[in-house]
Amino acid sequence: MQEATFLILTALAGDSQHGYGIITDVEQISNGRVRLRAGTLYTALDRLRADRLIEPDREEVVDNRLRRYYRLTATGSERLAEEADRLRSNAHAAISRLDRSGGLATT
Amino acid sequence: MSDCPRLERRYRRLLGVYPKAFRREHEQEILSVLLAGSAEGQRHPRWAESVNLLRNAVFMHVRHTKLPSSWESRHARVMVPVRIAIGIWLLVLTAIMYAYGRGGWWGALLLPSAALHFFLAYRLTHIARS
Repeated sequence: MQEATFLILTALAGDSQHGYGIITDVEQISNGRVRLRAGTLYTALDRLRADRLIEPDREEVVDNRLRRYYRLTATGSERLAEEADRLRSNAHAAISRLDRSGGLATT
Repeated sequence: MSDCPRLERRYRRLLGVYPKAFRREHEQEILSVLLAGSAEGQRHPRWAESVNLLRNAVFMHVRHTKLPSSWESRHARVMVPVRIAIGIWLLVLTAIMYAYGRGGWWGALLLPSAALHFFLAYRLTHIARS
């Protein structure tokens, strides 16, 4: 799973969000490292929707502008949980090896 | 956020390169996102934003133009007999060359080619059956 995809799913894991909400949330989750552009976001949303990991939730019109909210499906939550587990176990392995080899020591 | 109608028009024009089906579904919301992300008083789409839109429009065109799923197997069904016919024709040519006493080099060239065609026909039968 690509990082952008992972972050989008994470953004939707809490509550349903609309496009611009996802962009700002992803930026926040990644500590400002990932700023999605509109084109990238909708290519990802289109793919995630086709794979049934997300679905449209509701629509709102604010200042004459359409906002469509998306939410995670059950499959989406599952996939995100699997991916998070995988990342955690990888990170854990990296940290414990570095500890053992003294890689984290500040010498 | 910019309220410049010219900016909106320019973004709309950029979104015009996306596939129709995609635009019907997403144009309004992408436009909202683009305008929400624009700076106060901004009149032109940002360069990086435009490049990103065009790049992703290409992805969407590729994704939305699927070959009909039957295309590959139909193609294979035509190609299996064609490959076999070419293979047989090459064997006939080899036989003729041997008959005229010029087998050696021609045989070395034609026999592997015939084998290759038979092999490809064999590979295609799997697809033709699907």
